[in-house]
Amino acid sequence: MDFQLTEEQGFFKKTVADMIDRMVVPKSQEIDEKDEFPWELWKEFARLGYLGLRYPEKIGGLNADKIMCMTFYEEIARGSVGFAQSAIMNILMGTYFIHRFGSDAIKERCLYPAMKGEKIATMCFTEDQSGSDLGATRTLAVQDGDGWRINGTKMWITNGPICDFCTVLATTDPSKGLKGLNFYLVEKGTPGFSTGQIIHKLGCRGTVTGELVFDNVWVPYENLLGKEPGKGVSYVSDILDEVRLMTGAMALGIAVGAYNEALEFARKRVAFGQPIGNYQLIREKFADMDTMMNAARLMIYYGSWLLENNMESRVVAAEAKMYATEVCLKVVDELTRIYGANAFAYEYKSQRYFRDARFLLYGGGTHEVLKDFIGRSIIGKL
Amino acid sequence: MKILVFIKQVADTEARILIKSDKKSLEIENKYNMNFFDEFAVEEAVSIKEKTEGTWVAVCTYGSKRAIEALRTAIAMGADQAFLLDNTNLDSDDPLITAKILAGFARQEGFDFILCGRQAIDDESSNIGVMTAEFLGIPHVNSVMKLDIVNGNRALAESEIEGGRETIEVQLPALFTTQKGLNEPRVPLITGVMKAMKADIPLIDPCSTGLIRETIDTGAARINVLYYETPQGRPAVRIIEGASPEEKVKGLIAVLKEEAKVL
Repeated sequence: MDFQLTEEQGFFKKTVADMIDRMVVPKSQEIDEKDEFPWELWKEFARLGYLGLRYPEKIGGLNADKIMCMTFYEEIARGSVGFAQSAIMNILMGTYFIHRFGSDAIKERCLYPAMKGEKIATMCFTEDQSGSDLGATRTLAVQDGDGWRINGTKMWITNGPICDFCTVLATTDPSKGLKGLNFYLVEKGTPGFSTGQIIHKLGCRGTVTGELVFDNVWVPYENLLGKEPGKGVSYVSDILDEVRLMTGAMALGIAVGAYNEALEFARKRVAFGQPIGNYQLIREKFADMDTMMNAARLMIYYGSWLLENNMESRVVAAEAKMYATEVCLKVVDELTRIYGANAFAYEYKSQRYFRDARFLLYGGGTHEVLKDFIGRSIIGKL
Repeated sequence: MKILVFIKQVADTEARILIKSDKKSLEIENKYNMNFFDEFAVEEAVSIKEKTEGTWVAVCTYGSKRAIEALRTAIAMGADQAFLLDNTNLDSDDPLITAKILAGFARQEGFDFILCGRQAIDDESSNIGVMTAEFLGIPHVNSVMKLDIVNGNRALAESEIEGGRETIEVQLPALFTTQKGLNEPRVPLITGVMKAMKADIPLIDPCSTGLIRETIDTGAARINVLYYETPQGRPAVRIIEGASPEEKVKGLIAVLKEEAKVL
């Protein structure tokens, strides 16, 4: 069992980390304070080619393995969570179904420009009444002539208000629950497709999140992203593990950023005549944080290894996401304790990590839902 | 045209460095990067290559296998090839020995001109470029802020000097040490990163370039480190007291004049 990254993976991680330190970290505070999409940074970043990370070389991607992808997600989240969310949406969720099921014409219009950052992609699952409970989806798609008519509203859509195209989860038959679900491509400019309310968030600022409205939107039949209607939920399963591991990797990135801030502070801050890093209870915090972060990292890499090798990864991916997130929340909490009252001021970075970490509780399923799923998987049907 | 670039892998500026108990050696946190000033050298070489057809950029470093990572970074930026001059069982701190080794390699490899950073940010000896040029019998220009290659056989190099800039015309082959401001080192495109990840980087025994082992091994060093000591800690902050801002300023001026003696 070799626990080391290969030389190639190690070099990739270092290069990405350097790039994030040079390009993203210096702008992270401004992104958070202004809470506006950083278009200039997006263009500079897109030019480097990372948005095509996951896709095959023959279409201009980089064919990166799962470990490399997780490394990338970790580093970009360490730089700026708001920026990371938008970039990762283009890299993974917003383009996955286009790549897998889109026609050549759809790929030309949507996938390839998204890989170059020329178009912004998103995926729409969540509605007002359904987050983890996909079976409660109300957005309806009805066959209409040689196309589909879509009606509904989606909420909490990352990149939604600025997207050029989206993959929409809609049902063709609400009575069938999960088995009625499908994915559809809807492009900006389609009549009836509009942006609703923009959500002002506690954290992950800089990424634009909001409501998307589908009011009698008609799309051609080929915009059904899938081999046939009713298979939507099985396709969700195919991407779910990767999305959960990705969320775990982001959690690790935020934790690493927060941890490094805490370490620097503990080494420099003097109280009662010596650096606070000399006191046992502060040392205990670092011992706990380092232990947990190492464990989270191993779980994420293990889950990624299982996924890369087409092995069963459903439970491990859920566990890794859940554990890494809880570790992250613990680390950002400890950061604010180590910083003392300074953590309460916007002037210091500690508050940003604390706010940003919170969103990880929701992406890929809440922990209450995940625990029930994991327990059910272990115990089995009784 | 063939451009040779010398780089050095150095400890990250934020790496923790502790002096060991023998006071003669250092414990360095495992964080390393390409030397800051060498980035300008690599960038300049790659920029010239992009503007001049038929240009080949080779990068080399004298160091341990760990330094291969810095060479890969150079390839990711656009260098065509990289070489590691392996320092196993050889002296690795003496600038004269390093310069001999780099010169030996350069002589064997051939070049039209050489670029390297004006100094390494770890030991700041600033000797390597100059000494290597002398061993090769070629002219050198230091602290170059602007470089124009003319007709592939001469260069106009603008270098930073005290109080200004000096432009020197020099026949190639020559060596130029690079200064901050020469260019803006690029962030590698991911295509460069992927190419660098797969690049084959040969390890070269410096003795294979014709050097005699006894002249470059650990016993041949001319410089002997006696001891390291930590820099003096910053003195405690002193708050200048006063009932009003005007009084505090008067108090500060008095301290600067009479105690610090800087006014």
